[in-house]
Amino acid sequence: MSKYRVCVIGGWCGNRLIMVADHLDELLQKAGYPCQVKSHSVWENYNQPPASNLVLQLLPAFTEAETGCPIINIRPFLVDIDHPETMEKIFTQIKSDFASTFQQ
Amino acid sequence: MEKPIYLDYCATTPVHPEVRAAILKTLETDFGNPSSMHSIGKAAANGIADAREQVALGLSCSPSEVIFTSGATESDNLALAGILHLSKPGKAHLITTSIEHHAVLHTAKKLQSEGYEITFLPVDRQGMIDPVDVQNAIRPNTVLISVMMVNNEVGTIQPISEIGKIAKENGILFHSDAVQAIGLLDVNVNELHVDLLSLSGHKIYGPKGIGALFVREGVRLAPLTFGGVQENALRPGTENVPGIAGMGAAIRLTNQHKKDENIHLTRLRGIIISGLQERVPGLIVNGAAIAAPHILSVSLPNADSEMMLIRLNGAGIAVSIGSACTSKSIEPSHVLTAMNLPTSQIEGTLRISLGYPTTEEEIATVLELLPKIWSKAKIN
Repeated sequence: MSKYRVCVIGGWCGNRLIMVADHLDELLQKAGYPCQVKSHSVWENYNQPPASNLVLQLLPAFTEAETGCPIINIRPFLVDIDHPETMEKIFTQIKSDFASTFQQ
Repeated sequence: MEKPIYLDYCATTPVHPEVRAAILKTLETDFGNPSSMHSIGKAAANGIADAREQVALGLSCSPSEVIFTSGATESDNLALAGILHLSKPGKAHLITTSIEHHAVLHTAKKLQSEGYEITFLPVDRQGMIDPVDVQNAIRPNTVLISVMMVNNEVGTIQPISEIGKIAKENGILFHSDAVQAIGLLDVNVNELHVDLLSLSGHKIYGPKGIGALFVREGVRLAPLTFGGVQENALRPGTENVPGIAGMGAAIRLTNQHKKDENIHLTRLRGIIISGLQERVPGLIVNGAAIAAPHILSVSLPNADSEMMLIRLNGAGIAVSIGSACTSKSIEPSHVLTAMNLPTSQIEGTLRISLGYPTTEEEIATVLELLPKIWSKAKIN
């Protein structure tokens, strides 16, 4: 089975984008979810979202119709990289996806 | 892609062909060192004198009161530090505002760290300074007031003449950063009662790396750099002859065309405002009702400005936004923050700035595309 792919979408602020992606990668690994976390800057491409199982957007780049997978708005991470409600939404989604399709 | 639509003239402007020609002349023919005692050097010196005269003409001052610098940032540094450094730390007070360009704000903060007293005045929701606040901030040791003439983010035109009068009545020197004003507004240093005034070349179709500082006769400044007598020993070193020639040509064009340009851009600005207000319900125009004709700050409701910028850029339209990426987070503009605008409003703010090449057709394209782009850049 292929790895569960999480894509963090950001803009000009590449530092923030990579920081968020690295931070999530670490948290997900620690929590026992073997995900592949990638980052994607819409400055490079805003027409084609990368194929993913879950898209996390720092800015409103794509719709679920375009990504073909759930999208979570992670804008609060621009201010607080551990924003509790946003973090909870991500983990709830991943937990549910792993329970239905992916094995931990 | 079709020809890009450039609407970021506050950031910088393209070099005008006549400016380019003036610069090329100094690179190819009049390339001498202006301090040299021969004809080729003299030709370069004459070029500098001509440029100085053009700047003086634009400011209604004497050519001897114009110092060429590397740009407005250096001019602002020289004006602020040059005055305060004549006094010991703790003995001098500067009044400035919270919406100045970083060239002033960061210099003021540096001076504060050296022990000088600084007051950063607040602005109202329109980004306006109240002259009464200036009056009330004056202390016995106030040596300088610095207020920008036109704000570069929202276009508010400050009551410079009124503040200048207050400064004069209190025997305090007055500096204004007029970078965004000189191209389109009357900047008469006597009517404005300013003692120091900063200009930039590249905001008025001149080259980058050149600026000027008006220093009223009799005003003494401590230099920032040392090593020669050029520019009254305030800016020593061999002059940037190509830059100065370019700035001279740019100011000459400005002196000739600013009235017509003001009318042209005021009209285009009005078209954008009414067009966007029709197409984007809830749109807010930031700043005062009477603003510089080339600057328009608009907040589109519930939108992410960066996403709009990216999509506009993809469509070949260049504008700017009110936030900046720092090492730790996305910081909202200090100007919009000082105006006490809510975060949600700042997040959806675009700055559209116009120039003499801007056409009605370009504006029509923006009015067609921006509402569509806005609908794709909504936060929720």
